[in-house]
Amino acid sequence: MPASKPDATALLDAAIDYLERELSPTLTGYHRFQLRVTTNVLAQVRRELALAPAQADAERTRLVALLGHPGTRDELSRELAARIRAGDVSLYDPALLEHLRLSLVEALRINNPKWLDTSGPAG
Amino acid sequence: MTEAIQHHLAAAVRRHLGPPGEVRDLVRLTGGATKATWSFDAVVGGDTLPLILQQTPAERLAAGGGREALAIHGARDAALLHAARDAGVPAPRVRIVLAPDDELGEGTVTDRVAGETLGRKIAGDARFAAVRPRLAAQCGAILAAIHRIDARGLDFLPRHAPADQLAMFRALADACDHPLPAVELGLRWVAEHLPPAPRTTVVHGDFRNGNLIVGDDGVRCVLDWELAHLGDPMLDLGWLCVKTWRFGGPLPVGGFGHRDDLFAAYERAGGGPDDPSHVRFWEAFGCIKWALMSMQKGLGDLGAVPGARRSVEAVAIGRRIEEPLLDFLDLITAKAN
Repeated sequence: MPASKPDATALLDAAIDYLERELSPTLTGYHRFQLRVTTNVLAQVRRELALAPAQADAERTRLVALLGHPGTRDELSRELAARIRAGDVSLYDPALLEHLRLSLVEALRINNPKWLDTSGPAG
Repeated sequence: MTEAIQHHLAAAVRRHLGPPGEVRDLVRLTGGATKATWSFDAVVGGDTLPLILQQTPAERLAAGGGREALAIHGARDAALLHAARDAGVPAPRVRIVLAPDDELGEGTVTDRVAGETLGRKIAGDARFAAVRPRLAAQCGAILAAIHRIDARGLDFLPRHAPADQLAMFRALADACDHPLPAVELGLRWVAEHLPPAPRTTVVHGDFRNGNLIVGDDGVRCVLDWELAHLGDPMLDLGWLCVKTWRFGGPLPVGGFGHRDDLFAAYERAGGGPDDPSHVRFWEAFGCIKWALMSMQKGLGDLGAVPGARRSVEAVAIGRRIEEPLLDFLDLITAKAN
């Protein structure tokens, strides 16, 4: 099946545009605040569609290097979490900290890019 | 929903405060995601009283859930606020403790204090530029007063040693069943850095920018006492410095002030000596706590309420997990201010 057009990003752009420019000015108080939260959530979905596939590949590649064997991103991430919990890795292992920082930075590029403006230097 | 609240509230005002009990300008306020907060004016005798209703609807209480263990409702809330005011803390004055007959669930009606609560405005608006330099010291003095609250009569407050706090958040992480390497790193770091807690006092538990009413003269009221407990007082100082509660402001204390001002005022007001690394521990642990609280909002059990769905606010908070986790890494690798 060919991908439907207009694509998902175009649908979200139109929806966000209507909510922000037309609906929001007609609201006050509780509902205006909720609408702002709603448009933020839609913008997150929009950024996720654009960024997540490449990020997932990069994260999987880093996890394979860290753990030394292949697997899916989610399996490997669970395994890393379990190893940290079990005390099998040093808390200050530079490769581990670098991986965690990059993964958080990538997620923030989707969820809240502004947070990165005030964070400590990456890497 | 507003009509039902209006109707029950007017009856409650008549019953508890006196006639005519008319309720005006009832508005649901934003924020306070765990319970509903309403602002209104009540006509009692010849006076118009500016008031706040905070209530947990009865159906929410019946649903239970993990947070219930942390929650203090109604009468307990009132007893705690009363003890806080006796210690000189600017806490809300309670007018009504809701009873079952009021049909408003559990909660209180308190005096409404004029001022700003939005953390972003307090940390950034030009309107507060003149008062911002005074806020950290005011917070230090208020925290010293909170940590002096007489705990006799408050035996409902749970006792949380640092290790108990870790156990609570370990359990929360397990309940969410979404193991993240950064969260596991954080919980292990906390376990390996648990401080001895030489003092046990009343702890507010959620003392931060966003839970303070601020006016031109500074901090007027300390809100949101649901997480109060007996524990390590340094928890409150560290939580106030967590970067999330700076709301984009450049300074470490609530976005508005300096650590030195907070610590000096705390000591001057009799709060006892501070060990900055002890406060840093609670700031770092605070990042992990906020990450897990966000995770719970986004993924946690909705309880047994039929048809319950997560609010857009809850799922949005669920996507804030990475902010404090990155702040945590900055803290433990000394890249933070």
